[in-house]
Amino acid sequence: MKILIEREPLMNSIQNVMKAISSKTTIPILSGIKLEANDQGVKLTGSNSDITIESIIPVEEDGIVNIHEMVPGQIVVQAKFLPEIIRKLPDHQVEINVDSDLNLQIKSGHAEFKLNGQDAEEYPQLPVLQTDNSFDLQIDLLKMLIRQTNFAVSVSETRPILTGVHLKLENDLLELVATDSHRLASRKITMNDSEQLTFNNVVIPGKSLSELNKILDETQETIQVSVTDNQILFRTKNLYFLSRLLDGNYPETSRLIPNQSKTVVKVDSKELIESIDRASLLAKDNRNNIVKLVTKGQNTLQITSHSPEVGQVEETLETDSIEGEDLKISFNAKYMIDALKAIDSDQVSINFTGAMRPFVIRPEEDDEQILQLITPVRTY
Amino acid sequence: MKRKGRIIFHVDMNSFYASVEMAYRPELKGKPVAIAGNPEERRGIVVTSSYEARARGVKTTMPLWQAYEHCPELIVLRPNFNRYREASKHIFSILSEATPFVQPVSIDEGYMDLTDYVGEENPIEFAHKLQQRILNELDLPCSIGIAPNKFLAKMASDMKKPLGITVLRKREIKHTLWPLDIGEMYGVGQKTAEKLKRIEIHTIGDLANKDVLTLKNLLGINGERLHQRANGIDNRPVDPDAVNEFKSIGNSTTLPYDMTDLTNIYKTFDQLSKKVAERLKYKNVVTENIQIMIRYHDRKTITRSKQLQDFIETKEEISGWAKRLFQQHWNEEPVRLLGVTAQHLTPKNELSKQLDLFNYEQEAEKEKLYLAMDQMKEKYGDEVFIQLRDPEPNISTSFQKDFLSEYKTEEKGSDS
Repeated sequence: MKILIEREPLMNSIQNVMKAISSKTTIPILSGIKLEANDQGVKLTGSNSDITIESIIPVEEDGIVNIHEMVPGQIVVQAKFLPEIIRKLPDHQVEINVDSDLNLQIKSGHAEFKLNGQDAEEYPQLPVLQTDNSFDLQIDLLKMLIRQTNFAVSVSETRPILTGVHLKLENDLLELVATDSHRLASRKITMNDSEQLTFNNVVIPGKSLSELNKILDETQETIQVSVTDNQILFRTKNLYFLSRLLDGNYPETSRLIPNQSKTVVKVDSKELIESIDRASLLAKDNRNNIVKLVTKGQNTLQITSHSPEVGQVEETLETDSIEGEDLKISFNAKYMIDALKAIDSDQVSINFTGAMRPFVIRPEEDDEQILQLITPVRTY
Repeated sequence: MKRKGRIIFHVDMNSFYASVEMAYRPELKGKPVAIAGNPEERRGIVVTSSYEARARGVKTTMPLWQAYEHCPELIVLRPNFNRYREASKHIFSILSEATPFVQPVSIDEGYMDLTDYVGEENPIEFAHKLQQRILNELDLPCSIGIAPNKFLAKMASDMKKPLGITVLRKREIKHTLWPLDIGEMYGVGQKTAEKLKRIEIHTIGDLANKDVLTLKNLLGINGERLHQRANGIDNRPVDPDAVNEFKSIGNSTTLPYDMTDLTNIYKTFDQLSKKVAERLKYKNVVTENIQIMIRYHDRKTITRSKQLQDFIETKEEISGWAKRLFQQHWNEEPVRLLGVTAQHLTPKNELSKQLDLFNYEQEAEKEKLYLAMDQMKEKYGDEVFIQLRDPEPNISTSFQKDFLSEYKTEEKGSDS
């Protein structure tokens, strides 16, 4: 095997597949990157038991030549040193040679590395995904869906199913839900061409989605999503991202969302974030990062926080309107800030149903597409 | 509480270290003995001494050279702390056979609450038996004070030494307590005594009859407290867990036989967790860290703990985590002893609870009640509501001082 390749696309591909490689793998060969050269280009593969990523560097793309010379072949290289080696090579081109004894030679400019490779035949065969359950999404939209939900997954293994984002497609409506049982993030989008495709209880590990989000560039190109019983595949022209799905039944979350409210507050999102952020400066010291919100007359909110050892903070915030019953409620400031940032709307509407019940935040021009739910903190 | 009064014992070992040494070496009995840090050096200081030495003028904290001046034939010994700890362990195990409510204060003294435990017996006779038992079994003398509260019991045990038993009734304090010099009062140190004497308080009686405000101005909150004590008032409970002030609460038990079957092991965890949960409730605290102890048939002992995301308090939660820990760490060998400890405790009134989306209804149901309580608190202050405590908690306790819990688990094991 031999390739003469541009360093930059090679570096990008390495960084992409590195997202799947764990230094703590139980299968030794998976601590390596598989390099494969054939007529289409050079393909890199990285995998752990949960995620497999393949990144393809085409010989030529958009008139730019990535690969100048090639003799087909394949090899597995230790992933630990490869990224740093490639990054620090002196020349913009890299020559990689593999001999029949699995010795790998990397040349660039006057630098030359010799590495021991491993036989690519020993690298596990990746499952070929067979499914008709596929749909297309625009990449920037997928990234937004991930950003708006994935932060709310549970980080605790107490209920493993909650460490994932639930994906549901029904009647052309795709819904993503994440909850750590304290707050819930939900985002829906209407699909135009899902062709009666229906699935439910597809739970993607939160970690997979955050890695996917890192790899994907903010573009309007499409990505194909294919779902099977236990795996999900995201595929673009040059990327193949396969993730295990979580086992188990995702709880029915629609019943958790209150359908009535007793107090409705409409407020400028940015002002609310800033105000809560200030209050939480002192709250960070207390256990649940608690801030307290109290409705006052003349459409104002009072936001306070105190920490027994540190001190207290109080501020008032003008809202657009407050309707309904008076309210005093305490909640985790971080949950509120996360939710408001995810909604990413100028004005939000917050619907409360009492101090001990979850409240709902939506954009004020309610299009029912995004919703954030937060359960309050009970103070004693 | 409906009861007339509590029965509190203060058990105080008489010149403990010296007595322990004499129990080990009976030939020392009747001789002036002192325990000192460095007997070889004349600069050493007397830690404690026998009554014979005291009679000759030897006093605690006296430099050795001075002690020798008072008593040239003084026998000076190096302290042997392992012996004292061992003896202490035995003493407290004897005390805890009488009642679970034993609060060790130091290595050689402790309080007991016998209100519910003397039964038909006269407390004085009971004290005699206890004193005799410690003397017979351990060859150690103690004095016992009997009173309706800790302060009076402490003062009482001090009145007759060695081997005294003193009852101090509240109605008697005018005659017994009040004439005493203010410096004799427990809780009044040298500095406080000087301050009090400056405002013409020379006896405990003077203190009892002084107005609270003056005392408060002089000594702060402690002034008020001392005033109450001088009047025979002290509501502090005898608290077996006070030793380690809210650090952990745990129970352990030696199994009737070495177990390997999960059903019985889990049953044991349920029982232990129930006790821990009861004690958490009694102390009004919650935990966020559960530890288990497994002692195997060969006495190899491991402890494993789990830091939790949330505070827990119920027996189901505690035993759930205990079992999970057990599953993870059990090596399938026969188990001799199991223990469950709740660690990292937080008083309930200092915490908040993040509600859970899936079960917030439990809390929400009570919202109106909480709201009404809040309003009343705002109006009348935080003191309107206090958590009712079961006046007679049916609680089995294990002592956190490890020498005690060790002893007890051994003891239970050999009983069964």
